Amino acid sequence: MNFRSWFRPFEILKKEHNIALIVIWVVMVVGYWFVATSGEEKLFPPPEKVIAGLQALYGEGLVVHIASSLGLCLKATLISVVVSLFFAYLSPVPFMRPVAIGLSRMRYLPLTGITFYLAMMMHDARSMQVGVLVIFMSLYFITSLLGVIKDSPQEEIDHARSLKCSRWEVLWEVIVKGRFDYVIEVLRQNLAITWMMLVTVESILVAAGGLGVLIKNSDKFMNHGRIVALQLVILLVGLGIDWILNTTRKSLFRYSKI
Amino acid sequence: MNHYEQKDTILHAENVSVSYGEKTIIKDINFLERDTVRPGKVQGQVIAFLGRSGRGKSTLFRVITGLNKPTTGHVLIPDSTKKPIDGKIPAKDVEEGDVGFVDQRYTLFRHKTVYQALTYAMRNSTLSKAEKNDKIMRYLVEWGLEKSKDQYPNELSGGQRQRTAILEQLLSSGHYIVMDEPFSGLDIGNILNVKTAFKLINESHDLNTIIFSTHDIELAVELADSLYVIGYPRNAEGKLETFGTILHHYDLKAMGIAWHDSFGAQHRDLAEEVKKALLAS
Repeated sequence: MNFRSWFRPFEILKKEHNIALIVIWVVMVVGYWFVATSGEEKLFPPPEKVIAGLQALYGEGLVVHIASSLGLCLKATLISVVVSLFFAYLSPVPFMRPVAIGLSRMRYLPLTGITFYLAMMMHDARSMQVGVLVIFMSLYFITSLLGVIKDSPQEEIDHARSLKCSRWEVLWEVIVKGRFDYVIEVLRQNLAITWMMLVTVESILVAAGGLGVLIKNSDKFMNHGRIVALQLVILLVGLGIDWILNTTRKSLFRYSKI
Repeated sequence: MNHYEQKDTILHAENVSVSYGEKTIIKDINFLERDTVRPGKVQGQVIAFLGRSGRGKSTLFRVITGLNKPTTGHVLIPDSTKKPIDGKIPAKDVEEGDVGFVDQRYTLFRHKTVYQALTYAMRNSTLSKAEKNDKIMRYLVEWGLEKSKDQYPNELSGGQRQRTAILEQLLSSGHYIVMDEPFSGLDIGNILNVKTAFKLINESHDLNTIIFSTHDIELAVELADSLYVIGYPRNAEGKLETFGTILHHYDLKAMGIAWHDSFGAQHRDLAEEVKKALLAS
């Protein structure tokens, strides 16, 4: 085994070398965690506290809270995908372009101001959570989708035009159908932001459960073991969603090589 | 000398110019091509455009294919939807889709398999579903693509991709196909593939017309029956202008060197002459 190659920039390693590197890093991080939390002074809770926190959380209905967060995420995602696709797909139409670009720019709006108006408009916390998430997800989603549309090669548009496609057919074939795999990829990238925001939204607006509420409660009592356990759970659920979306894209779209 | 006859006009560019603001890209482009008929042989037309980079070949091609409207002038083709008047088919301005266009990257729909792409190309055809299928399958066999019919563009080899792109345009546009530098960056095998495609197109219908550009002078002389040199003209002071126009036209049919299997001395002389014309433009 040539270990020198591990330290040479741009070196392409064999699969088993890559796996070995991941294992080494995981062992080092976990080892550091054990060592760093074994003394008197410690910033992070030791592993046994995290495991205890996890057990306590499970006893308090962690699975139900995860399901609640996932449900909220799914609902908000579906609505925002429909809204974002509508505006993004119409952006090649000159009349609609300023609207799509304008919405994309709105991503710089602060969250607090929006929640104030939403609170006045909506009467139940769950709708408000969905509303906040939809608004913010859509703005990021539209921004990414506009990038995908802008990067669609002119050759593909000309190719469709040369096949007697009307302008609406060009939009349908090149952008809508031809870039559908990109929608999943964009969703996958934006879901990381959404997932992060979901927890914040749940903790800002104390509603019926969710991972955000659990974190908020644990935070109040400075229960570090529970906080780190929850962080790990949120990370793993997020990674799981990411994996599902990536696998879906690859299996549904054979031609997709993003 | 091969015997041939020139029949009706199939392509006519009349005072075509394209400008973007103050910048004129091409100006005063005029040419006329007729249907060539050879006794006892199905013979399409192959028209080559040669010119140095930036002389406006691609701009002219976009006008010929109707993808861009010229600033002045017209590109006319026969209007097959109209009845002949005095035995002649009326002309019409070329529109998007009338003339097939294959770019040098052989662009295809990334989300359609070969068969789906060809079916889509025939969506406006009046043929029945079964007839369309028969026609597509026949072409797939002739062009050596039957085993790749369910593959997506990213699963095709360069040669298969070229053939699909050409076939798609043939099935959609009918008789005209413009190819912008179809030999650019190809290896010897793929060059042969494209040459075979030219032959297949040419021998399948009298009205089939290939219009292509290339930087390979010998290849243009070998394949074309009509060759245009596009470049910067010289003004009264002998200085080069900054817009492209047609500087020379070589009718290889009239010269007796079209449709030859071998590349003879006359071909070499013409290639040399074209080379000098290009360098001077």
